Amino acid sequence: MEPSLLDSSSTSQKRFPKLRGVRWRIDLGVLSSSLSVSIDDLRRAAADARRRYASLRRRMLMDFHLPRDVDRSPDLTMDNPLSQNPDSTWSHFFKNVELEKLIDQDLSQLHRAHGSFFQTPTCQTMLRRMLFLWCLRHPEYGYRREMHELLTPLVYVLLVDLDHLSQVQKAYESHFSNEFDEMSFSELTQVSDNRLRRSISGGMEIEKEGNQDGIAKVHSIDELDPDTKEILLLSDSYGAEGELGVLLSERFLEHDAYTMFDSLMNGARGVVAMADLFSSSPVAFEVSSSFYYLLSIVDSSLHSHLVELGVEPQYFALRWLHVLFGREFDFDDLLMIWDELFSSPNSICIDKNAKYRFKILCAPRGAFIASMAVAMLLHLRSSLLATENATFCLQRILSFPKNSDMKILLEKAKSLEILAIDSNKLLSSSQETSNKNKLAITRGYSLSLGSSSARTPPNQVPDSYWEEKWNVLHKATETMMRSNGFLDSSGMKFLGERSILSRTESHPSPADGGGRKNKHFSVRHKLLDDFSQDINSVVEHTNSIQSKFLVSNNIESSPLQVNAGNHFMEELNDDNNIRRMTSDCTAEETCLSGECSSIFSIATHCSLSKNKDNDLDKSSITSNSCICDNDQEASIMEELCCRSYNNQLVKDDEVVSAANDEPKSGQEFVSDDRKPLASKFQWFWKFSRSSAEGNLEKGGNQESERASAAENTKNGCSTPNFCSNQQFPRCEQEGRCRRQQSSWHFEDSWTIHA
Amino acid sequence: MAAYRADEEYDYLFKVVLIGDAGVGKTNLLSRFARDEFSFETKSTIGVEFATRTIHVDGKLIKAQIWDTAGQDRYRAITSAYYRGSVGALVVFDLSRRVTFENTARWLQELRSHTDPNIVVMLVGNKADLRHIRAVSVEEAQAFARKEKAFFTETSALESINVADAFTGVLTQIYHVVGRKVLAIGDDPSALPIGQTINIDMKDDRQAANKAGCC
Repeated sequence: MEPSLLDSSSTSQKRFPKLRGVRWRIDLGVLSSSLSVSIDDLRRAAADARRRYASLRRRMLMDFHLPRDVDRSPDLTMDNPLSQNPDSTWSHFFKNVELEKLIDQDLSQLHRAHGSFFQTPTCQTMLRRMLFLWCLRHPEYGYRREMHELLTPLVYVLLVDLDHLSQVQKAYESHFSNEFDEMSFSELTQVSDNRLRRSISGGMEIEKEGNQDGIAKVHSIDELDPDTKEILLLSDSYGAEGELGVLLSERFLEHDAYTMFDSLMNGARGVVAMADLFSSSPVAFEVSSSFYYLLSIVDSSLHSHLVELGVEPQYFALRWLHVLFGREFDFDDLLMIWDELFSSPNSICIDKNAKYRFKILCAPRGAFIASMAVAMLLHLRSSLLATENATFCLQRILSFPKNSDMKILLEKAKSLEILAIDSNKLLSSSQETSNKNKLAITRGYSLSLGSSSARTPPNQVPDSYWEEKWNVLHKATETMMRSNGFLDSSGMKFLGERSILSRTESHPSPADGGGRKNKHFSVRHKLLDDFSQDINSVVEHTNSIQSKFLVSNNIESSPLQVNAGNHFMEELNDDNNIRRMTSDCTAEETCLSGECSSIFSIATHCSLSKNKDNDLDKSSITSNSCICDNDQEASIMEELCCRSYNNQLVKDDEVVSAANDEPKSGQEFVSDDRKPLASKFQWFWKFSRSSAEGNLEKGGNQESERASAAENTKNGCSTPNFCSNQQFPRCEQEGRCRRQQSSWHFEDSWTIHA
Repeated sequence: MAAYRADEEYDYLFKVVLIGDAGVGKTNLLSRFARDEFSFETKSTIGVEFATRTIHVDGKLIKAQIWDTAGQDRYRAITSAYYRGSVGALVVFDLSRRVTFENTARWLQELRSHTDPNIVVMLVGNKADLRHIRAVSVEEAQAFARKEKAFFTETSALESINVADAFTGVLTQIYHVVGRKVLAIGDDPSALPIGQTINIDMKDDRQAANKAGCC
């Protein structure tokens, strides 16, 4: 399995892997995120934040809760308890009482699952004070219900950190007590002395301690593993800022939690500021729309199904957004999501001058929120597609299965994040003309939004031309497939889907600059992983219903496949247009894998991926030698696809016991039958497509549709899969597809696999 | 596909919305009706939540899709779309908090501006168990309901009083209206029994009420 993007980008590089609270503080911008920052600097930052909170608390709370000075409100006509004047101190007082009541109402509903701790008076008082203070500090927002649901996880992770610290301390003490008996004794007395002194003075003043103890400690700490060492340094009362700088401190739990909460609400000058989402409908609305926008790119059939049913994104998005998915997942799962969420930077990651569609998608954090939402929708895909009514559909969305595999969900969300950011960029017209390859992206995206901008299609050729070219291509494909034993019903299914997918989804720039390309490629590669996993499940399914299909299952050794691939690409090489088409194919395949991953969101990990990785290297070398950059990718994708099919077939060789079709006769059959089928598709095509679309795309898709048709024909099944077509999300009901057995079967397979 | 077929069996499908101020007990009313549950720790509704329940009226299976909306102001702009296609509404207030009763006028106004004029409306005074701190009298509420051409009932989700009756009352009334083909409904109740006398079979409701009797 390829090392996932998820692991490499976030968790492994992070400091303090065992201290989630510290990590979150860094991610939320409370502490510096730079890896080079010393622990002393972190301690100083923490101490500063705590000082700020302490002074805020003093300023705000004292004013309201101490008895009022008589001389401060001399005008009793205005300032009396019965005064209706909104500016009177009493009206402020009553308002605050109301506010506290409201907060209390929410706090009393805190779930008991995570400890009675949240229900204890100490914790409730602490939470109430934090929320109350925040609202006083931000009167423009005020208190909104559910805010406490954002605060409690923050408190919780800080508590878990403290727990971890106490465990380490225990181990540490027992470890050192033998060798440094006197040391620890003197230390202990000193610490308790300090506490005493402080509790007497009650102050927050910093005390600089002599550091001879510190030196002795460091010396012995060096023998510990770095993690433990760090924890001890973080919680050393004699480090920078003294006890105030102790990063893991129960005493300053409230200070830390408030600072984190404040940072989360205000967004720390970043894009995602929760306070905006809470208070302003337009912002919430925009964010919900961005969910659907991303969905339309990733899975247009699901998108159009939801739109058709009248399921508006804000119906469910509000709940997901306001508590950052807190209502949908168990607490532990939620923490995992927030790990990812916070570790995505909140700063704008595109050029200042660049145009964009949604502000929220400009920052990785916002993009992650949207991709998480889309990943969740995709997780429910088959279930949602089966609904015929907005309410049922929403019911399913809003009762998200609690036991979902978080790892898969998060990986999917992570993989969509880059797509979300990229697709959000609006290209200026000059850029569009300068790079033809980019056209494919913008065209796809604009179509999915339903706009009809009149861009010139890059290629306009008569259909007959494509037909001719198809013959060339088809022969090559045939050769390759024959050698790979590629054709079985699952392959047919995916080819069918490929043709459909390519219409609305576009590939993120096949021939783009180096770094970007790699980024995309890794995404594609990742999607491909999903894809191969999905094939697994499809083939399993296929086996169970194989009697319906004639499965040809010729398996030959893999070197042959590479040769066939080369041959295939060389043939393509002599025509530019075909080459272009191939790059379209690349796009289709990428999308195909994306789509497949979305169809079967619960995919089991299989060993195939590893083989595939090796294949990737091999195939990129071979294709480098004969074709240009654009085609290289195409060939890689092509081969990867074939390889994964092939691998799968090898794996399933014993299981699939269908008759081996004679390839040669199959081919002849195809070439006879291809034309009428193609024209049939064209009819469907025209029926379902808007005329604004480019000719090339149409042509290319027809090619691939024909490919699917050819595959279908060869497999003895003359009916292509239309039901996964996003233009006919409910064609089953419309009876259009009833005649077509294969479509039925595909609809069913979705349900079964979900 | 087959897995979902079971819950699609019904003769009529009605969308009903639950509206009213925050904290009047809409969610608990619904959970009492749909699942016979009550919780003191109900979290505030964000956006909208759903429940469905099928009841029998006159030998017909009536499926109610109930949209439980958030009572808070801030969602108003986005949530007016919730009313779309609804044929019935329960406007809920808290008997012990007068302000929630006063606000029902506003809720009704909003409801009427977004829905068919023939929509069946029931005014529901919830928390009838809080008799000792009642702030709205039955007469007053009844008078108001009459003025608004709405039905009125008092319920207690906690003690499970009248809850099923309130919902089934609205649903049977909708069934009547649909039977007269007065209401234009978004969802397609294709075969309408025209000219038939419709006997309302309240047995099921009573059963439901009895079943919901303990708390």
